[in-house]
Amino acid sequence: MIDFIQNTLDGITIGAGYALLAIGFTLIFGVLRRLNLAYGPSIMIGVFLGTFIYLHFDAGWLPVAIATVIGAILAGIYVERMCFWAIKEGAALASMVSTFAIWMQLEELVTVIFPERTYKFPTLGEMDYLEFAGLEMRAEHLIMLGIAVLMVGLLHVLLYRTRFGLSVRAVSENPAAARFMGINTGRVIFRAFILASAIGGVAGFLLVATDPTVTPKFGLQATFKGLIAMMLGGMGSIPGAIAGGVLLGIVERHMQAEFGAIMRDMAAYALLFLFLIFRPGGIMAQGVAAREAAALRRV
Amino acid sequence: MLEIKTLSKHFGGVRAVDELDFTVRQGEIFGLIGPNGSGKSTTVNLVTGIFPPTAGEIIFDGRDITTAQPHVTLDAGIARTFQNIRLFNNMTVWENLWVAQNSAEDKKATNLLSRWMGGSRKAKSQVEEYLEFSALADKRDELAGNLAFGEQRRLEVARALAAKPKMVLLDEPAAGMNREEVRALDERLRALKARGITVLLVEHVMELVMEVTDRIAVLNFGQKIAEGTPSEIQNNQAVKDAYLGTSGD
Repeated sequence: MIDFIQNTLDGITIGAGYALLAIGFTLIFGVLRRLNLAYGPSIMIGVFLGTFIYLHFDAGWLPVAIATVIGAILAGIYVERMCFWAIKEGAALASMVSTFAIWMQLEELVTVIFPERTYKFPTLGEMDYLEFAGLEMRAEHLIMLGIAVLMVGLLHVLLYRTRFGLSVRAVSENPAAARFMGINTGRVIFRAFILASAIGGVAGFLLVATDPTVTPKFGLQATFKGLIAMMLGGMGSIPGAIAGGVLLGIVERHMQAEFGAIMRDMAAYALLFLFLIFRPGGIMAQGVAAREAAALRRV
Repeated sequence: MLEIKTLSKHFGGVRAVDELDFTVRQGEIFGLIGPNGSGKSTTVNLVTGIFPPTAGEIIFDGRDITTAQPHVTLDAGIARTFQNIRLFNNMTVWENLWVAQNSAEDKKATNLLSRWMGGSRKAKSQVEEYLEFSALADKRDELAGNLAFGEQRRLEVARALAAKPKMVLLDEPAAGMNREEVRALDERLRALKARGITVLLVEHVMELVMEVTDRIAVLNFGQKIAEGTPSEIQNNQAVKDAYLGTSGD
């Protein structure tokens, strides 16, 4: 029983990282209604920039974190310009395929510049385990959880208390109407991309710092975890992204404890498959897909 | 106020709008009528920048907006509603107006904080006023998607107003409304006029158009077949043949 609770607890902390990735996906999907498969790889660019700063300047975790976020933002801007700004509305499939191309390009770029298989990344410092009622928790996991909660809180304020948030919600809801209300949708999309990339950068830093090895496969990992968490939660819903991330973290952790690391990823895909069949709207079932279905029913 | 000069829009071989000319004067309610497919909506879409015209010019308030994007035409002072309602369904009534109000405020906000946070007391009280104007004050916290059809139409007009336009283009605002609602709309249109807002009204409900407009242009197959006051239009033989006589209104 205690193991079960322990694994659940660990799952929640990892899931918090996944939730941030899923939020980034959701923001981009919300304003664009298109998938950005290069989201994970653009975060990977940030992570490698962080590694670079760490290895060459022996920087502490804070400069590395900042470099990671900046790298993710720059790569995110590159992806937005290449795959979404340059490819006009109505060409959703072309956009998605182009993000795949950019993904491969970024991965190749990193393998050329960083030829070794793995690189080191700073941890948040040597920390003790915190113990409570027979449960233990790594301090950096607790920090990760705290930062994730803080990010979600900030994002909520940004989306519901500022003009920028209002315009992001308007564009997500109805891009055409938003344009006629004077909102420059191109600018909103660009800024939403920067926001999503920054969130992704933070998530990337936290995930890598708690498991401090860096490989070019991080891009693939981040895209898949974020995408699966978003689909589990319900596309287009931020509460859904959080729920999906946490669920994914918990399930993965339990599968790993029971059946080992290989089963962990298998379980993630199996879970996605089951959801797509039995609950395609996701946990929240309140995302864009469900809303559009509801709108159709009204007509 | 709004000058349409030899405006044309061709979709493939179809001349949706064909060398159209008309001028909407400041402060009037101008009606645009015609059978389905006569080019009314295409004209509205051209004016608000959904797509560029094949030929011709659109001048608004002395400014050439022929190829302007939608957010630029709003900037110039043209707000619109849609034939198929396009609200932000998952936002409250109040937020729907707040979006439009903010885009109008945005140009004036000079310091960064007010740019980001928005929401001066004055701006909020103006939103209240639009709620009152559209008789939606008691629905302010309702999600727009949950409103009744007539209320959604009212909200769309209020939202257009909240963008502080010089002119509003209303694309069939009376469609699907009952007699009572049409009468209320009539009054609201007059109230708009009294505020000095120019109105371009695209409508099929003839009792409203004939009652409320100052002048009317009639389209058929993308061309203007008549222009004049409501009584002139009602007595125009070409219009009767093409439209009024056959539509049963």
